[in-house]
Amino acid sequence: MNKISRRAMLAGSAGLLAAPRHARAQAAKPRLTVISQWSAGSDGAAITALGKKFEEKGGTWQHSPVPGFTTEMMNKLRAQIMAGDPPACSQLKGPEIAAWSKIAATVNLDALVAGAGYEKVVAPDLARLHKPGGKWISLPLQIYSTNMLFLSKRAMDKAKADKIPVTWADFNALAEKMKAGGVTYPIANGGTRPDDGQKFEAALAGISPAAYRTAIMNLDDKALKGPELKAAFAQVRSIADWMDPNTAAQHYSINLPRFVAGDMGMMIQGGWAQGVLLNAGFKLDDFIIAPGPSDNGKPVFLLNADAFIFWQRKEPDLQAGQTLMAQLVMDPAIQTMYSQITGSIPVRTDVDLSGAGWSDGQRRTAAALKEAVAADQAVLSLAHNMAQENGMTAAMIDVLTEYVKNKAITPEQAVARLSNAVEGAR
Amino acid sequence: MPAAAQTGQRRVAVDVLRRLPEFLTIWVPLLLCAGHLIAFALWTIWVSFTPSTLVPVAGFVGLRNYTAMMATRNWQIAFDNLLLFGSGFVLLSVLTGLGLAILLDQRIRGETVLRSIFLYPLAVSFVVTGTVWSWLLNPGIGIQKLVNGLGWTSFRFDWLIDRDMAIWTIVIAAVWQSSGFAMALFLAGLRSVDADLIKAAQIDGAGPIRMYRRVILPTLWPITVTVVVIQLQFAITTFDLVRALTGGGPGIATQLPALVVYDFMFQRGLLARGAAAAVLMLLILLAVLLPYAAWRYLQRRQSAHA
Repeated sequence: MNKISRRAMLAGSAGLLAAPRHARAQAAKPRLTVISQWSAGSDGAAITALGKKFEEKGGTWQHSPVPGFTTEMMNKLRAQIMAGDPPACSQLKGPEIAAWSKIAATVNLDALVAGAGYEKVVAPDLARLHKPGGKWISLPLQIYSTNMLFLSKRAMDKAKADKIPVTWADFNALAEKMKAGGVTYPIANGGTRPDDGQKFEAALAGISPAAYRTAIMNLDDKALKGPELKAAFAQVRSIADWMDPNTAAQHYSINLPRFVAGDMGMMIQGGWAQGVLLNAGFKLDDFIIAPGPSDNGKPVFLLNADAFIFWQRKEPDLQAGQTLMAQLVMDPAIQTMYSQITGSIPVRTDVDLSGAGWSDGQRRTAAALKEAVAADQAVLSLAHNMAQENGMTAAMIDVLTEYVKNKAITPEQAVARLSNAVEGAR
Repeated sequence: MPAAAQTGQRRVAVDVLRRLPEFLTIWVPLLLCAGHLIAFALWTIWVSFTPSTLVPVAGFVGLRNYTAMMATRNWQIAFDNLLLFGSGFVLLSVLTGLGLAILLDQRIRGETVLRSIFLYPLAVSFVVTGTVWSWLLNPGIGIQKLVNGLGWTSFRFDWLIDRDMAIWTIVIAAVWQSSGFAMALFLAGLRSVDADLIKAAQIDGAGPIRMYRRVILPTLWPITVTVVVIQLQFAITTFDLVRALTGGGPGIATQLPALVVYDFMFQRGLLARGAAAAVLMLLILLAVLLPYAAWRYLQRRQSAHA
């Protein structure tokens, strides 16, 4: 028997110890640490389903939802970034993507996007938000419109109306008919800040998408003092007069029972309200969904898109996880699954919505997006932090929410206040 | 001499060792807390002079954050609200607490039970208080609806949605929550009045009202000051009550400085502006506490001389 020399023994055991690490590096199991605010409801269900698909493909899904609103999620994200331990992937959207990309390193997704041909099927306004500095660093996952018109079937019957309003004049006429027909409050509203902002942006974008673009998205001073804004504020005043004043600061969902029962007539809400209505037990034929009013007849689409941003990590398993996640997010089948759960529409313009599992409202929304992009009337929502960074948005919504709650402010004063707020927050 | 010095040293060392647990349990947490407080306060003051937005960055921008902050309607409304809320809340809670304490002081049956009942609101979190009161004060589902339903159809109690009156709804909820605390302190003070003093006043023929006005209440002066100071510092840092009750009010009508700080620092991603608002809050607090400290110092000097 050959004596095994001590040197050989040492060399062999060193080789044995190195082998597993070598094997691991060659086939890193994809792992993903994710932070989002989607902990409950249809959003929570959707991201859990996405996680299951991730694990089916062999990855480890580590999602830490932060209950609450976006601020809580951003606080956690900021804390982790400053501690040097950013999650591999996090929820983020709008101009915040550009702002946050300056404080921590992100992953360049250009190769993955080119490989999937994603850029061709994303609306150009949206694509620009996700590639600040020219490189893709985040991927949009779902699109909501924030100015969908929800009409209560029972309220329409009370008003003896059957035509869906197309322009703001039609809308105002329908509201008057509803009031005359016994509907207590023609508009169902919540008292929260995004609600008030949604009313204004729907009004302005419906009156003139071009003015919306220059005034709200580009913050052009002349446009901010223009006649379209005064008209928008006047329209918002009419809407506010048709709302229940007792709503105080409550969420719009407390008015849903009255909306379905016909005590309240219409809602100007985002597409997510469909998911909320169905979750609350109401049926699809209790209400009609239509695109928000647009004075020039062609649909105007106020975009609100959720996205995932990928932060640079050195670990190979997290990098593999990021690649897998990016591929999943761009996959039309995954987008279909996600949007069917939350009630949004997929980002990809080439997804066919005629199959089962899609509601009429979603089909109408997707058609509206296509037409709006073609007519260059797809704009970014202000109330949902897509048009401006959080600081500027909040300063403008201060003015809007004060205007909605205070009947003594005239449209002229509101216009002056808005341009002052923009100046102060610049 | 060296031997005596040595035993002296040994005695001191033994003394220190014996008192080591005391030192550790008292001084270590105290120094940690004080250190944290001072360090973070200094850090916030430093951030308020930088151009920080999402994350703290170094730089010096002078007083720009302060002037920008004081120019916003949010801060101006918050400051006015603080004066209204602070004075209204402190006054009402002192009066309510004193009234309840005097009533409880009458040696009634069930005093312990009543005392517990009045103290219960203090155990409820501010968020719960705010949420429940937001339902009670909502004209469509709360007190107004109840009274209207009982028959008085022209009754109005819609302060919650009225821009000018909404701050008083916060006063109502806050007084409900913490007048029990004032009551407990006043009750202790009433009970600790010298019995001989009361007997002397009774011999002199003082009725109950006279007794309270001339004899008992003046001795409560130090406790009143304590209650006022504690309630004031609570009023200045009110945050979750307002968030739960009005969310900042109809529009931004019930903003308070603590909400403005949180809003600007985290929701708007403007750390430096929020820090400037926080430093302004500190200055307001100092404007209240420094006169109190000066008054206490003068009092001590007077009693030392007397």
